[in-house]
Amino acid sequence: MKQLTGLAPSGSLGSGFNLPAFRSALDSGPDFIGQDAGSTDMGPYYLGTATPFLPRASYKHDLGLMLDAAREREIPLLVGSCLTSGTRPQLDLAVDIVTELARERKHSFTMAVIDAELDKGFLKRRLGDGGIESLGPDEDLTPDLIDRCPHIVAQMGVEPFVHALDAGADVIVAGRACDDAVFAAVPVMNGFDKGLSLHMGKILECAGLSAIPCDLAEPLVGRIERDGFLVWPGHPDHRCTSLSVAGHSLYERGDPGIQPGPGGINDLDHATYREVDRRTVRVTGSRFIPDPDYRVKLEGAELAGFRSIVIVGVRDPVLIGQIDGLLQEMRERADTRFADCEPGAFRIDFHVYGKNAVMRHLEPSTDVAPHEIGILINVVASTQDLASEVSMYVRGSLQHASYPGIIATAGNLAYPFSPFSVPVGPAYRFAVYHLLPLKDPCECFPMTLVQV
Amino acid sequence: MATLSQYAKVIRSKNAGPFELTFDIMFDSREAYETIRRSGIITARLIARIYGISHNEVLVCRSYDPALSFKITIRRPVSSDDIGESDVYGCQQHVPLTAIEIPDT
Repeated sequence: MKQLTGLAPSGSLGSGFNLPAFRSALDSGPDFIGQDAGSTDMGPYYLGTATPFLPRASYKHDLGLMLDAAREREIPLLVGSCLTSGTRPQLDLAVDIVTELARERKHSFTMAVIDAELDKGFLKRRLGDGGIESLGPDEDLTPDLIDRCPHIVAQMGVEPFVHALDAGADVIVAGRACDDAVFAAVPVMNGFDKGLSLHMGKILECAGLSAIPCDLAEPLVGRIERDGFLVWPGHPDHRCTSLSVAGHSLYERGDPGIQPGPGGINDLDHATYREVDRRTVRVTGSRFIPDPDYRVKLEGAELAGFRSIVIVGVRDPVLIGQIDGLLQEMRERADTRFADCEPGAFRIDFHVYGKNAVMRHLEPSTDVAPHEIGILINVVASTQDLASEVSMYVRGSLQHASYPGIIATAGNLAYPFSPFSVPVGPAYRFAVYHLLPLKDPCECFPMTLVQV
Repeated sequence: MATLSQYAKVIRSKNAGPFELTFDIMFDSREAYETIRRSGIITARLIARIYGISHNEVLVCRSYDPALSFKITIRRPVSSDDIGESDVYGCQQHVPLTAIEIPDT
């Protein structure tokens, strides 16, 4: 086999994609369709609750188009990180949608379902073997931390996908997976260079973000050869340039040259990006350097509490000038009022829009004088009721607080709507983000074959 | 004195996982890229000063010739979406970089 062509309909399942461009991309004769369907990017809530980022119907719409195209051409469809965090309930939802689509559209095929949610007993047994390293959290991975996270997933590499393809899968629906692995699996299975395959996967996973204009909802095509790969957009008027593709190689990665993944590092320091025509770029020189240990990334989110919020605006310049001190006073009042709660039962955060709400700790401009500010009172507490109670207490105190030079004594806050306090539900924080050594790249990714 | 935004085509920030923020400074001409690279102005020390963080929290600060780019990665002061944090995607943390002053050559 001299070359293999992969198609990425969109950078994010469920966001929709340009259909005419998808059809032109299909005309280039893809050997597989790959689709990334998740991320940690949207925050820990989805991982903690194991719920999808988008409504079910959004996923069904996109999956239907991909499934029709793949079955019509009898090429594999690979979908990774279903559906958002790659937990078992989210994976089950994806399986349910694919099965429903098959029934409605009269497709029949072999589906591989690859689970990426870890069995907690397995993970606890592995703690004793050592070699687990944190990639961010201060806390080491312990049985207690494992129990505090409702769902812990591992990011699979290419091997579980290859295993499923070897077993005869036409459609692969996978839990948490490395984005690039979804696209690298078919090339790696067919003996193409792993560094090039993963690099092509890295470019394809966000689809049209590597093209000009830069658009996540635009399909992208990749064609791997023995000593390089080509990428071009599905849309005939869009272009890939050496800079757009090289630039995307950096995207969301800590280091442009050294990109670690399961089983090794992809070294892009010597990669070259060359425009072969007006809209196609050829990439060479990416090199995979295997690690002695095969390690996968674990992700878990623990419950931080329950959140209630109040959104208010302030226009009075006398108050705005003293807002920091006044908000500190509100915290102290709440601590006194709720002194009978256990320590840490609630936390109050103020996002002062117009001042430094967006950059917080990283904000260098501290001497601004906004003419109005918005305050998001954000309370996370051990129960929803307590969060609502604290948020209403804080906003009530602030509403009628007095301060030096006060000129408006009828109230301090403008509310955009009622009710004032909005219960948001459970709040999570990323607590597990660690590397786990594996004895076999497939050992914690059980695969089930289903005849649909 | 010119600012970095007059040289660069793209200056952006984004999560690199929930515990790191990564910045890309990208140029569309080799000349502009080389001017900034040769000036030696983009250093971990400068980044630490701009964002008010410790030098140790700047994990990566380097150029990447194939993309005519600089890459900077810092530890997030607070992980994405934890309390005290306001930018879940981390995509609005780039602005101070646009104002980096570039001495006339």
